[in-house]
Amino acid sequence: MEDIWRQLEAELDRAKSLPEIEQVRIKYLGRKGVITVLAKNTDFGKLSAEEKKSFGQRLNSLKSRAEEAVRAAAERASREAVPQDGATGGPDLSLPGTDRRLGAMHPISLVQRELEDIFQGMGFRVLTGYEVETEYYNFDALNIPPDHPARDMQDTFWLEDGRLLRTHTSANQVRALEQFGAPIRAIFPGRCFRNEAMDASHENTFYQLEGLLVDRDISVAHLIGVMKTLLSAVFHKEVTVRLRPGFFPFVEPGFELDVQCLICGGVGCATCKRSGWIELIPCGLVHPRVLEFGRVDTSAFSGFAFGLGLTRLAMMKFGIPDIRLFNSGDIRFCEQFPVSM
Amino acid sequence: MKISLDWISDFVDLEGVPPHELAERLTLATAEVEDIHPVRRHTQGVLVGRVTACEAIEGQPPDGLKRVEVDCGARRYESVCGAPNVTLGMVSAFAPAGITLAGGVVITEQTLAGRRSEGVLCSAAELGMSHWHEGILEIPESMPVGTPLDTLIPPEDVVIEIDNKSLTHRPDLWGHYGFAREIAVILDRPLKSLPIYDLSQFESLPPYPLEVASFDDCPCYGCIDLRFRAGVPSPLWMQRRLHALGQRTFNLAVDVTNYVMWELAQPTHAFDGDRLRKIRVASLGEEGVFVTLDGQERRILPDDLLIWNEKEPVALAGIMGGLHSEVSRETQHVLLECANFRADRVRRTSVRLDLRTEAAQRFEKSQPPANVVAAAGRILHCLILADEPFQALSRFTVAGDPDAGHRPLLMDWAQVDRMAGITVPRDEARRILIGLGFQVASRQGLLELGIPPHRSRRDLSIPADVVEEILRIYGYGRIEPRLPVAPLEHLPVNEGLQREHRVRRVLAGAHQFVEVQNYIWFDLRRLEELGFEPQDCLRLRNPPARHNVALRTTLVPNLLALVRPNRAHRDGFRLFEIGRVFRAADQGRQERTFLAGVAYQPARSDPEELVRGIRGALEDLALSLAGSAFRFEPAREDVSPWWKRGSSLVIHGDSGTVGAIGLLTGDVLKAVVPDGQVAWFELDLEALPVVVHPAVKYAAIPIFPGSWQDFSLLWDAARGFAELESVLDRFVHPLIARREFLYRFKGKGLPPGKASYTFRYHLAAPDHTLSAEEIDAFRGEFLRHLQSHQIVLR
Repeated sequence: MEDIWRQLEAELDRAKSLPEIEQVRIKYLGRKGVITVLAKNTDFGKLSAEEKKSFGQRLNSLKSRAEEAVRAAAERASREAVPQDGATGGPDLSLPGTDRRLGAMHPISLVQRELEDIFQGMGFRVLTGYEVETEYYNFDALNIPPDHPARDMQDTFWLEDGRLLRTHTSANQVRALEQFGAPIRAIFPGRCFRNEAMDASHENTFYQLEGLLVDRDISVAHLIGVMKTLLSAVFHKEVTVRLRPGFFPFVEPGFELDVQCLICGGVGCATCKRSGWIELIPCGLVHPRVLEFGRVDTSAFSGFAFGLGLTRLAMMKFGIPDIRLFNSGDIRFCEQFPVSM
Repeated sequence: MKISLDWISDFVDLEGVPPHELAERLTLATAEVEDIHPVRRHTQGVLVGRVTACEAIEGQPPDGLKRVEVDCGARRYESVCGAPNVTLGMVSAFAPAGITLAGGVVITEQTLAGRRSEGVLCSAAELGMSHWHEGILEIPESMPVGTPLDTLIPPEDVVIEIDNKSLTHRPDLWGHYGFAREIAVILDRPLKSLPIYDLSQFESLPPYPLEVASFDDCPCYGCIDLRFRAGVPSPLWMQRRLHALGQRTFNLAVDVTNYVMWELAQPTHAFDGDRLRKIRVASLGEEGVFVTLDGQERRILPDDLLIWNEKEPVALAGIMGGLHSEVSRETQHVLLECANFRADRVRRTSVRLDLRTEAAQRFEKSQPPANVVAAAGRILHCLILADEPFQALSRFTVAGDPDAGHRPLLMDWAQVDRMAGITVPRDEARRILIGLGFQVASRQGLLELGIPPHRSRRDLSIPADVVEEILRIYGYGRIEPRLPVAPLEHLPVNEGLQREHRVRRVLAGAHQFVEVQNYIWFDLRRLEELGFEPQDCLRLRNPPARHNVALRTTLVPNLLALVRPNRAHRDGFRLFEIGRVFRAADQGRQERTFLAGVAYQPARSDPEELVRGIRGALEDLALSLAGSAFRFEPAREDVSPWWKRGSSLVIHGDSGTVGAIGLLTGDVLKAVVPDGQVAWFELDLEALPVVVHPAVKYAAIPIFPGSWQDFSLLWDAARGFAELESVLDRFVHPLIARREFLYRFKGKGLPPGKASYTFRYHLAAPDHTLSAEEIDAFRGEFLRHLQSHQIVLR
């Protein structure tokens, strides 16, 4: 009888679904089940009263234990069962969700917001300027000489009224200095425009983020320190940077800041054109003439400025191969960037 | 800019410095290296030979071949040559059979046009010197025949290519000597001086007649009248270096001017001296035509600067010489021009004419006038190196100021450390400055400097410029990064940006809008299709395309233009854009940030649902931005093809009109999309209050249970919901906690033209549970109000 019990237990253990458990029940407790047959086939007449009593008790116990085990197994199975189809009559919880109301934000919005957060965390204020700018703020006040090629019609979109579409967010530098004076820590994200022929890596409309920090005794060491901190926050890991000479009329000294290639780690790959470095941020100490235009006392204050290509950063961050996608209005592009801010 | 390391080695010892290491150090200290090209020439086994017989082969195709004999000293070779410049008596390069030339061509003995050929006379291209193959190499006659060519032209060189964009401020680096100076300082090795012929020995000669109309356009002009054999081949050391940089060689006079330009960055020009009597530097003063030495007719504007021989123009100043004063093979008399021209004058003319010559590129960078004298002296020295005798017919005549002295500058030593953020050893700083050509004296913490004349005033004039010179050579990599320290202060958030970000969160986060960005100019072709004539546009003088001349005054048309392409990809969608719009008329506030959106759904859907969907989004937006609701009122006038009476609502905020919302109908809908439904909205974001964190007044949660009552009202559907709502608004009752619109029913069982509108009134009292009597009284009053407006319950 104990063998029967152990076998039953083992089979119930294997039976996971209700139909399988039913099979087990029929095998042991059905009309021709093992236990039923055992009871039927036992000739109680041959047994002593003592034996009759003992055997009867054991048989009843086995039967009730078996019934209880089958019931418990069935209950467990129905509790665990996930309705697989409507045939069971219960709700089909495997259907996909509805009422999904999430749209998408433009990739520039996401990157801009991320950088605003980083810089605000470092104590920079966020300022915006004008897309239609005067020649004074875009060029003159940045120490860009009157005959500089950047002022040409080939490079700058000029308005009939003599103003222009800003060619860089640096146009905000002197505006900010005039408004807030020194010391100042500020970034200026915004849209810029250049009269360029368009291809996969050139757009006439793109985003930059300019940064300006003016305080007492600001040095190249500070510039490198802030850039390293910024880039480590942007790329979520420690980055290696290097400065090399770069020329921009509104900084002196001027630099190109390279970041060690994040793809190959500096060994050289296609992304970094096998140089191990990626040119990322033009920057420099603010030219004294620019500070003077901003009415800052150059004997007391110095500063640094940098220009981040927001569009370029978004291309790197999201792996976007063609800059023209940003202004395409193609929903297949724009909807790829879910709300994350 | 390309630099040949063979050439640099004239001035600095490059022993033990691999080219890639040199390139890296130049990138970090001076200018970005773009590429390193190894040069491999095939001069081994090639001999200098003189053509001792040269006759045309008649009647044997191919035409134009000549039978030649070449005397190579130890042996005389027979050959066949097709080069147009082969002549009897000339000296050239001969590759006998067995020699391998560029491209792996192995020379063999063969019969060509019926004549024996024991080798070939070679072009520069065949020798792997350059791409030029218009003729065979021309070698000065004085070169002994039989000389192995590889003793004159070493087989190997390395050319380093520098990114021109990183040299715009460094006119001195457009020549090899400038780079040699940088490399010497970077490697801390001595720089050999550049031998220059002393021009002062011609002071006793008469000046050349010279007149400069304006020193503004031409700060300094120098020239000297010379007699020498200008048309002979230049020496091979000169030719090989010009070829290594991809330059073509012509004759001694032209090659020596190019050579010195590539050495000192100073362009010069050799005129045929017989054609000139007097030099005048002046603009044309009127429009005209000038034929440059490439044979092209060039249109000249009144203020383009020209070089004149009396009344005849002979060169486009600083760009290109004229055809009629070019040096030829027979020229024996040369007027050598060494001049300085104003950068932007040269640039304007050369850009307009699309004549971006090597000379123009250099003048555009503001060459220092000091090189006017240096280049002339260097050219004469090179003639001596070339073993070519010359005679001066005039003194070196100069008009204007060569500005050849060191320029004084006094600065504080401490400024170097202050700007660097580290202590830079003064000995090291002094070594760097001296190496770069500065005069350096140090006194009581002050640095007394003489800025070298070869450096442009634009590039070097203030102490910060000097600090850059020190630090870039010292090494930016040696500066330990540090973070600035600033006092704790409160920085106000940018409320405008906060508002924009909040709009994005509401529309994209809760209402399925997708954010797009469009260009800031209209597409006039699209506006015409829409029937929209924008007013008060700012206009571009040089638009990206003719139909993009006007800046947008509204975001809607560019968004509408996105409907048609995107409906190919999605059944329905909602797009929005936050961007600037511009109006010429709004004094002071010409540029504003607007928000606009479009929604599209297929034709068979319910257009009311389309509009209600985006209106719901805007209602959420109002609550989130300002904490108060928008009011929507039917448009009373046609503002644009899309903002029209009957299909638009004007949106009002607390401060007045802030925008509009509508459904496209009729022609404008057809212009946007052939089928389907389109709704739009536009808001002036700056007209909305900037409330980053709107104040919210808590309303007490009722303690006593309220009740709600539903009413289905029959109303003339044509009169619209808004009018019905205003009727209901006029019913004020103290028990009303809230009114809710549930649904509208149109259809069977209703009187014609009527629709049933079901509202739910939530009733409550703050201090007790409502009694049945109170509710009945409310119903009675409400029904009387409805009756007074002829509204019956369904």
